[in-house]
Amino acid sequence: MNSNEGYDANLFRTEHVSKLYPDGQVHAVEDVSISIRRGEYVAIMGPSGSGKSTLLNLLGALDKPTSGEVFFDGQPLSKCRNTDRLRVEKFGFVFQSFHLLPILTAVENVQVPMFEGRLTAPDRVKKARELLAMVGMSHRSNHLPQKLSVGERQRVAIARSLANDPIALLADEPTGNLDSVSAEGVFDLFAHLHHELGMTIVLITHDEEFGRRAQRTIHMQDGRVKSDVFSERRRVRTPLPPFAV
Amino acid sequence: MRFPTFVLKNVIRRRVRSSLTVIGMAVAVGAVVALVGISSGFERSFMAVYQKQKVDILVQQKGVKQRLTGVLDVKLGEQIAKIPGVKQVNSGLVDFTGLEELGSATGVLVQGWEPDSPLMKALQVLPPGRLLAESDSKGVLLGERLATSLDRKVGDKLTMLGDETYTVVGIFHSPTVYENGSMVVLLRDLQRFMGREGQVSGFAVVVEHPDKSGEIRRIIKDIEALGKNLEATPTAEFVNSTTEIQIVRAIAWVTSAVALVIGAVGMLNTMVMSVFERTREIGILRAIGWGRWRVVRMILMESILLSITGGAVGTLGAIGLTRLLAQHPAVAGLVDPAVAPTVIVQGFVIALCVGLLGAAYPAYRGAQLLPTEALRHE
Repeated sequence: MNSNEGYDANLFRTEHVSKLYPDGQVHAVEDVSISIRRGEYVAIMGPSGSGKSTLLNLLGALDKPTSGEVFFDGQPLSKCRNTDRLRVEKFGFVFQSFHLLPILTAVENVQVPMFEGRLTAPDRVKKARELLAMVGMSHRSNHLPQKLSVGERQRVAIARSLANDPIALLADEPTGNLDSVSAEGVFDLFAHLHHELGMTIVLITHDEEFGRRAQRTIHMQDGRVKSDVFSERRRVRTPLPPFAV
Repeated sequence: MRFPTFVLKNVIRRRVRSSLTVIGMAVAVGAVVALVGISSGFERSFMAVYQKQKVDILVQQKGVKQRLTGVLDVKLGEQIAKIPGVKQVNSGLVDFTGLEELGSATGVLVQGWEPDSPLMKALQVLPPGRLLAESDSKGVLLGERLATSLDRKVGDKLTMLGDETYTVVGIFHSPTVYENGSMVVLLRDLQRFMGREGQVSGFAVVVEHPDKSGEIRRIIKDIEALGKNLEATPTAEFVNSTTEIQIVRAIAWVTSAVALVIGAVGMLNTMVMSVFERTREIGILRAIGWGRWRVVRMILMESILLSITGGAVGTLGAIGLTRLLAQHPAVAGLVDPAVAPTVIVQGFVIALCVGLLGAAYPAYRGAQLLPTEALRHE
């Protein structure tokens, strides 16, 4: 059997995906068909209410489409029995408001997703410290979130998103609450994760400048894809070997 | 970090609410432990009175559930004694009387016995006192605890309600708290005092070979054949069916049940509020990969932690309260200061059940939350 049999270069794929929320008659996402390759760095842009977050939630198996199908690694998510498991093993999520737990220190926050993994308690601490070092936060590992600057909080949140070695990082306006300097730092971090670790990154941003740093920019409007632009300036990485779902 | 540490931090973080829940739970469990403990202590003491004297069968008036109101002719004792296999028959009159020192609302158990009764002879009288003799009209023996409550020693006078003055002839020690809080007078004095001349409350029968198969049942049959108004019961069965015990037991459980419902509602309220408040947080945990069961485990563990803490506080409080109550003159003779370990275990099991019950719905709700809905929640 060919080792690449069943291999899909697309990590994410949507086919005529629509999402209609029960509390409204407006399609949050309407008939969207896109593909995102492994190791790709994609920015989703568009005005508020254009369906960016809904699309990201659908890609990350946080929500189910009203119609159409979302594929991850070639497999339809509608057939996936345990999307919780999929999320914990394959995806890392970063939110605009960080959503760190206020009672836990930075190093403890990073360990929260690891409860679903197989690491022992000492290994969880070790790994959390390594991840904090990677995002440049090892000196603040024992601080509570309220003692950190917003930029530092987002770095901790990014470290947390990497807790279970995800294939893809999904970020919903990760710099929305940050000043320009902190935002710059966060985007540098995403660039590092993309270039050095080959991670697939899908992020939502309102900032045109940051959007242009991605390999590809998907513009959305009224729930539909308005434009899908591949940047010629950026080097497209060779897809990583296939991962099993 | 371990998962239980995470749960513990969640509980500690809501200090006020967690403390109030623990207090609510402590009151509920404390009520159970204290009330059921007092009730079972009362039962134990009651049983011990008969066990101490190796009484096998108790005879009383048929159909009378409360032995204090039972009336039998004292002469029946002689007939019972003639039944083959009967070793000894002790007649006794028992009643409650009021004492001015303790206030008219408080009743003290008073037993009336013959001076040569083995029941009398079984009493352990402390020096310088002695047992009641035939000549000790209006003499009284006080249980150790009652003597302390009344502050009486040998030779002191005691006025019963009804203005009869008795002299303390002796103070006795009994291993049973029930007897320690009682007093003993001559049967004829109690009969006169209560206006029950020639009457007794019942007979305590000692069987020669109680372990012999069917012996007790046979003697019971023979006793009941002496008169239609007689009812003979094995001691353990008698204690269990005694109205006083049943009332105490019922009151203890009903009061405890009310306290438990309050505790359970408090726990439910805390856990529901905790889930509502943390809807968004639970959404985040679900988004970053926590499965439904992890959320359920978190909520259940928080609830169990609160209820067990409440259970521990309540049990300690109940033990303290029972000890305090046992020293109070009004109930000193009736309350056993030692709470049985089984009652403590019962309290903890109840705390655990209430904790699980109170967290069941919140855990279900938390598990049902969709990450996106929870994330949208403000």
